[in-house]
Order: sequence, then C-alpha cells, then structure tokens
Amino acid sequence: MQGGTSVRLYGLEWPKESARISRVLDLLVAAILFLAVSGAFHLHYMLTAGDWDMWIDWKDRQWWVTLSPIMAITFPAALQYVFWTKFRLPIAATFAVVCLLFGQWINRYFGFHLWSYFPMSEVIPALLIPGALVLDVALLLTGNFLFTAMSGAFAFALLFYPTNWFWLAPYRLPVEVMGQLVSVGDYISYAFTRTALPEYIRLIERGTLRTFGGHSAIIASFFSAFVSILMYLAWWHIGMLLARVVTTPNTLKNFMGLTDKDEPAEAAQKAIDGTSLQGRFVAAE
Amino acid sequence: MRTFCFRKSSRLLVILSAAAAIMQIGILTFVPDAALAHGERNQEPFLRMRTAHFYDVNWSTNEIPVNGEIVVTGKFRLFPIWPVNLPLPEAAFLGNGTPGPVLARTESYINGVPAIQSTKLELNRDYEFKTVLKGRVPGHHHVHPMINVMGAGPLLGPGNWLTVTGNESDFKLPIKTLSGETIDNLETWGLGRVFFWHGLWVAIAIVWLVWWLRRPLLLPRFRALTEKGGDRSQLVTSTDRLFGAGLLVATILIVFFGFQATDIAYPRTVPLQGSRATVEPLPEVPEQVKVVVNKSNYDVPGRSLRMNVTLTNNGSTSAQLGEFLTSNQRFINHEVSQAMAAVDPNYPKELLPPNGLKVSDSRPLKPGETKTVDIEAADAAWETERLSSLINDPDNTLGGLLFFYDEHGKRTISNVSGPMVPVFTDPDNRTAENPKGGPG
Repeated sequence: MQGGTSVRLYGLEWPKESARISRVLDLLVAAILFLAVSGAFHLHYMLTAGDWDMWIDWKDRQWWVTLSPIMAITFPAALQYVFWTKFRLPIAATFAVVCLLFGQWINRYFGFHLWSYFPMSEVIPALLIPGALVLDVALLLTGNFLFTAMSGAFAFALLFYPTNWFWLAPYRLPVEVMGQLVSVGDYISYAFTRTALPEYIRLIERGTLRTFGGHSAIIASFFSAFVSILMYLAWWHIGMLLARVVTTPNTLKNFMGLTDKDEPAEAAQKAIDGTSLQGRFVAAE
Repeated sequence: MRTFCFRKSSRLLVILSAAAAIMQIGILTFVPDAALAHGERNQEPFLRMRTAHFYDVNWSTNEIPVNGEIVVTGKFRLFPIWPVNLPLPEAAFLGNGTPGPVLARTESYINGVPAIQSTKLELNRDYEFKTVLKGRVPGHHHVHPMINVMGAGPLLGPGNWLTVTGNESDFKLPIKTLSGETIDNLETWGLGRVFFWHGLWVAIAIVWLVWWLRRPLLLPRFRALTEKGGDRSQLVTSTDRLFGAGLLVATILIVFFGFQATDIAYPRTVPLQGSRATVEPLPEVPEQVKVVVNKSNYDVPGRSLRMNVTLTNNGSTSAQLGEFLTSNQRFINHEVSQAMAAVDPNYPKELLPPNGLKVSDSRPLKPGETKTVDIEAADAAWETERLSSLINDPDNTLGGLLFFYDEHGKRTISNVSGPMVPVFTDPDNRTAENPKGGPG
C-alpha cells in the first residue's frame, strides 16, 4: 500500500475509498457466507451421516469412521474450488468444517439439550478440524487439486478416528449394567432414552472387518480415505459447475433491431450474411 | 394512498402475528397436558388394536422427587392376527414412552432378562416387563411402557401421569466402570475433555482463518488473479507456505501424541455393544374360552362397538366375560364382581370408559357350554381416542383381548378378532339391552 488517494493491493491500484468499501464487503460476505455454509453443510451432514454424528452410542469403529469423512469432505472440496481458483484462498475446508461445527453445537445445545432434555454427553458432534487443516495446507503447498485429493483428502479421512479418540475414549470405558458388559456410551443412551430411536435402529459394527488386527477402525479409516479421494474429486467438479456463471443468449433482441455492443462487427456481419431473422430483413431491404 | 394502505395492512399483520404468538404461549403454558402427551392417539387404530396389548400395568407411584424412582411393571401379548403390512417382531426393544429423557432409565427387563439390547419376540405369547425409571426433569409427565418393533415403530402401552418435583440440577446418575473409574454423573461425564479438545482445535482453526482474513480478501484478490498487472506472488507468499507447512506438522504431531496420550490414559476400552438378547416367552396357557366373532359393527353415531360372538368354554371351570381390552382401553363388565375387583383404584380413569362393557347374557359359561352373546362397548372413547378412524383403514379388522373369570376369580384370556362393518345410521335403534332393535 502507499499514501495519497490510492492504495496498491496485490499489484493493482485502488482508490482508497474503493479499498475501504471492498474491505467492508469482505466482512459482510464472510458473515453471510458463514451462516449460509453453517446451515447448508449442517443440513447435508445431518441428512447423510446425522445419527452417527449425533449420538454417543452410534460412534462405532466401522460405519461412523467410514461414512463421516466421506460425507464431510463434500462441502470442503466444492468450496476449495471456488476459494482457490477465484481468490487463491486455501481456507475453504477449515472454514467449512468450522461452520459445520458451529451449526452442530448450536443445534445440540439449544435443540437437543435445552429443548429436548438430552444431556450434552449424549449428543457431542465429531471433530473434523485437523483433517480440514491438512486438506487446506495440501492445496496451499501443491496448488493442484489432484495432488490435494491424493494427499489431503486421504489424510482428511485417516485423521478422523485418532482426532476424535481424544474425547471419545472416556465414553468407551467398560461398565456392568444388569449383569451385562456395555460401554459408558451405550449406557448413556440407554439411560437417557430416545423414544423413537430404539437400540436396534443403530447401524454399528457389522461384518468381519475386525478380523484385520482386531480393530476395525484402521481398515475402516483406510477404506474411507480411498473413497474420500473420489468424493473430493467429484465435489471439486461440483464446485466448478456451481461456480459457473450461466447466461442464455437473448435472441429476442434481434427482433428489436438490437445488437451486442461488444460485438457490433460480428452482429453486422451476421446481418449481412442473413444468418439471423433480423439479418434476413436487412438482406431483403 | 397506496402507502397508507400498505402501512395499515402491515400494522394489522403485526397485531395478528403478536396475537397468534401470545395465544401459542398461552396454550403451551396453560394446557400442559395437551402439550406433554405424545401423540399416542395419532397411531392408526390397526396398530393399537392388533399389535401389542398391554395388561396388568402398574405404576409404583404418581409422584417422585428428582433422583426418586418409579417402577413400571406389567405384561403384554403380541396379537396373533398381526397386521399384514407390518414386519414380524424379529427385533424389538422395551422402551418407555415419555416426553424425551425426562426420566432416566436405570433398569429394564423382559421376563427377567435384561433389556438393554433388542430381542426377538413371538406372536400370541405373553411377556412380563419391568422398567425402573429415575426422576430427572421436574414436571408433569405422561409415562407409558412401550415396545419398539423394527419396521413397525413404537407400540405404546397405557400412560399414566407422573409428577417429578425438585431441581433438575440435583440429578445424578453415578456408575463405577470396570476399569476402576468412578463416574459421578453420566450427564456430564467426559465433557471437560470434549470442551478442551473442541476448543483447542477451533482456536487453531481460527488462527489459520485469521491469517488469511487479515488481508484484503475478495475483490482485490479476484482482480489480482484476473486482471493484467495483478501480482499473484503476493496472494500466496513464501511466508504463507512456511506457516502452512508448520501448521501441517503441528497438526499431525498433536493428533499423533494426543492419540497416544489418550490411549495411555484409557488403556481398557470396549467397543459399542450391539448383540441381541434371547428372551423366552411366558409359559403358554391354553385358551379356555374359544371366541368366534359372527358379526361386528361399529355404530358411528352411537360411538359403539357391537359384536355378536359365539363363546365355547373348553375348560373345567365356569367362565364369565369380565373385560374387553383394546388399544389400552379397558371396557369392564360391571356385572362381574371379579372383573371390577381386578381394576386397580389408581388406574388412569381415562383408560376405563365409564359405560364399560354390556353383555347380553353375563351368566357364567359352564364347562363345555357354547353360547352366542351380544357385546357392546359404547363410549365416547372411540372418538376421543380416535379409534373410530378404523373405518378409514385399509385393513379394517378389529382386535382385542377378552378376560374371563371363574367363580374363584381366576382369569383366562382369549383373543378376539374379526372384520368390522361400520353403521353410519341406525334406524332400528339397536342397543345391548334391545339387540333386535325396534321401539324396545
């Protein structure tokens, strides 16, 4: 930047007033985007991986670990396309998961805890921030969406389980209830009942994944990491499609004798060639 | 003029909105019963008539303090004429129908087997249940026993009102883990760790976001990327890359060492438990009285269910029809003293239709005797409980249990089921006392 009536931003001259308005716009857009992404991403995540993320007795070593990163990498990937290609900002993934976490905590605290009486220990959302940070830094350092998919998206899923184990472990301590072995998480959800969500609804640890070293979370994480790469690529392109400004050529204006100001020569040529209706009138004259 | 109209209508809209809001608050405040019951009447009649029939249900108390206990016991029979559009109870769970977790469930059993897991149940068999609940949220709550059946949803038993007094903040649900930790209260267990880790990562994320947000953001960056003269090297500098790389290393190190530290802090953990319990039904008791429904009508204007049934006593003692139970409504035959005596004086009155059950011939059915009688269960409950909407169901078959008593008061239970034909007008003026109709 420099003194006087203008400032230099990223190599370009800006009037001071314009730069100031632009900064106000930054803050306004950031606030609006924060709320919009919070709502949209939260809705998407609840519809696709909601119960696993919601309840302490759904956070298993197989489905939760597999599905959560696959469903959570969607918005970060799409936003990364827009943020990076249009603004060179490597913060989209972190921004998206912070928005998601904000929406989740608001929903869990006001909706589930205060309104519906569930204890907070039953409805803790998963942490996705470390994976998102790695995804953003991967894009920053490689500058390439393919390498970001292979390294960042892979790490996004691999980091999911260890990241969440920090806070989840106390809920996996063993307790004896009515002569049965259950985890603390199982007992919390048994005690604080979900009237319409009984035990059998849970989709937890099925199949024989646990034969791989006795711990299904590892193989589930690697499988999730592989699918997350594909999801990242797909959603990067969805971001690309959604960021496109689509216009429809206005053919009616030809009837009015109007032409595009930017392309007078081309329009005139078309008129002469008779390639448009207006042109044919012109040609007839 | 136009502006004036707009302002006037806007003001009217504001006043109407405010009135609606005040009315809503008033309804929620002054009509708590309506707000706190939880839609049991909205279940279709075929669900309530032909799935789980709860009987002998008892609530140990009507009022408990926070941390006080209520024990709900009883039995249920899974009706043999199970609706064809519902899956069989291959997986079922003993729940409790309450407005959310206002009570904490500490124990539950089906036939003495712990019901913390789901189980398979059999049709036309009886089960005994027991649920121990602990007061948590003060208020006036409707408490039902409930069976959740996979694919069929929650099947509610009868509900009774319970008052929980005291302070919610006094609630505690302690437990000791098998690895030695003492948990003072499951409600708050582990939250310190949750808040710490969530807070730490949010703080790191904010640092990363602010690192970029502190510089001119949208239009300047967009112009620099798209216009000639824009300096792209200033958009992402080597300092940015260095900071990013440092953050990457820090993130991986925190995750790695955090995971190790957690494993050391909690060396003995178990995965979520998702097995199925095995529950044997109560010993089968042969049906003493065989019931055949010859005809059944629901009289819409008279709010009355009438059945013409043939009863055959296959037992060695007499049997007297004392009660018709359907959809948690108990129609008691007032002429049978044993049936009247079997009603707990504390049983919810709204589940005991005052008109009871009218039987054309209430005399005991002798062993080996066959008799055809008319039964009438007439009460406004058919409307208030929304059972009359059975006439709108695609599976228009009624179901319930008939309770018979011998001279010693011993009870036997028979299933009763048959197609139901609605009567929209009743020109014959038929009643239980005058089943043939006419002036009477």
